[in-house]
Amino acid sequence: MTARRLVALLLAAATPLAAQSGFARLAGRVPPPALSAIDSILVAAHREGLPTQPLIEKAFEGGAKGVAPDKIVLAVSTSADQLRVARALLREAGEAQPTDPAEVTAVAAALSRGLSPELVGELTAVLPGEPTGPALHAVADLVGHRFAEDSSVDLIVAAAQSGLRGLRFLDVAAAAVQELQRGRSHAAALAHVKSLLPNVPPPPRPAPSTLSRARRVQPGPDRP
Amino acid sequence: MMHIDPQLHRVLDGELPSDDLTPLQREQSAALQRAARLLAEAPVGSVAARVMAEVRRPPLRLGQRVAQWLTERHAVTIAVRPIWSLALAAALAAIAVIPSRGPGPVLGEQEGIAQFVGRFPDARSVEVVGSFTDWRPGAVVLRDDDHDGIWRASVVLPVGEHEYMFVVDGERWVADPLAGRYVDDGFGRQNALLFVRPLAR
Amino acid sequence: MIGAGVLSATDREPTDGEVVAQVLGGDAEAFGIVIRRYEAGLLRYATRMLGHPDAAADAVAEGLVRAYRHLATCRDPGRLKSWLYRIVGNRCRSHLARRSTSDLSLDDAPPIADPQDSEAATERAEQLAQVERALETLSPEKREAFLLKHVEGMSYEEMAAVTGERIPTLKMRVHRARAALLEALKEYE
Repeated sequence: MTARRLVALLLAAATPLAAQSGFARLAGRVPPPALSAIDSILVAAHREGLPTQPLIEKAFEGGAKGVAPDKIVLAVSTSADQLRVARALLREAGEAQPTDPAEVTAVAAALSRGLSPELVGELTAVLPGEPTGPALHAVADLVGHRFAEDSSVDLIVAAAQSGLRGLRFLDVAAAAVQELQRGRSHAAALAHVKSLLPNVPPPPRPAPSTLSRARRVQPGPDRP
Repeated sequence: MMHIDPQLHRVLDGELPSDDLTPLQREQSAALQRAARLLAEAPVGSVAARVMAEVRRPPLRLGQRVAQWLTERHAVTIAVRPIWSLALAAALAAIAVIPSRGPGPVLGEQEGIAQFVGRFPDARSVEVVGSFTDWRPGAVVLRDDDHDGIWRASVVLPVGEHEYMFVVDGERWVADPLAGRYVDDGFGRQNALLFVRPLAR
Repeated sequence: MIGAGVLSATDREPTDGEVVAQVLGGDAEAFGIVIRRYEAGLLRYATRMLGHPDAAADAVAEGLVRAYRHLATCRDPGRLKSWLYRIVGNRCRSHLARRSTSDLSLDDAPPIADPQDSEAATERAEQLAQVERALETLSPEKREAFLLKHVEGMSYEEMAAVTGERIPTLKMRVHRARAALLEALKEYE
């Protein structure tokens, strides 16, 4: 047994059962100096009922990108804070308890794209009972192309009112961006797409003839 | 935009008393109420005579109504199908000419196709590493079979949201310039963000 | 006086439901009571929405004529006010959708003081012009939400009946309108 695996087992024995699976997965993927601190974050998140998978993924990402241990810990901690804010926003918007972990993760992702908590809270309030991830990302897409936040929200709300749902919101945002690329002003692009609702065309479907399936590489002695 | 404390909103909505407002909140409340009072000044003028003239006019017979409709202007809306971005069209066209490697996998209901394209003319290898590979390298490898510097792969992925970066020559992490959608990775770089749709719609 | 024949023996004002019943019963003149009762508020609302008194007069007149012609479709005469605002609001929105941005009618020049005006009246006119300019910077949805809530004094339930929007949506618009208006007013100080 390697020294690394022994340390991981010892540390795993000291942590609550619920977080052990996360800690065990982290060992070997995350620099050892970061392990204990990240484990504490995972344990706290688990106790609060927050989804821990996004936090584990963030730690994996930092390890894969060769990031310094303290920066990985900071990023995981920030992600946990975003999950907390996301869950609070969903609760304020009247979502049923306990909040769906997938919804919490989606709202946190929107916050990490720079959308303000106020805007995220408002949008989740006007789309109750619906997964809000695609709507939030549609607004973030528009804001990323310098559409005004409130006008972007208005367009997506109008799309919802016209009966569109889910990934169709992304089509609405894409259509507005394309109008911009065709030379319209931001305001004219939004107005034009609003006039098309709900008949905003979806994107072209890719040809399946050259497909492969992503291989999940199994960990081995030479691969972390 | 100016920030207004949620408590002030509740006071202005009549849900809370105004006793505990801070000086700033009182100032904001006063400004808004002042604006509302000014706007509440009724403009001079009346449309009563005009409306009653229409009310008193005898109703048109059917033929007269049709004639009136024909001479009025009516707004007509024509839906125009937008043209997709040239970059995406070019990327899809590039992928379509890659020879088939076989019948390909059968897609489940909750699976869709993601297409990755990147221009790395001097690269020896290009792969995609992301949330769908658990951030492990080696799972999605792009190919440049005709050595034109354009690397491509089409991959079956679960429906939903995924983050990823290109890794060039096993060490250089690059944000996908064609992604159009990015998120701060928390490490000083940007991950591309991808939404995979179910193929069967 | 328009519609005087509708007054009851005790001279109390008839309710909206009573006026509607009277008009639908064949007394077209009774519609004058509706006009008298709601014209000022509708003109104020439309003027603030469109920023142009002539366009507002057209919207209100067309809206009231439409209301008269379709009065039988007013499902709840007790909510006549909301119904009228809804009709006029729709006309304002149509007008705004057709209007290009170059058509903004609010004059950027300060109001010209009439020598007969008192100093207080002149100052009030300038303050109103500032507020009108600030209001013009709001999107039509936010402008409407602010006007219905704070100028027309409607509850969120009444606003929902006027606009067809859900109450959380309206609250969002009112909250954002307040913030945007304060921001715009600050710039004009």
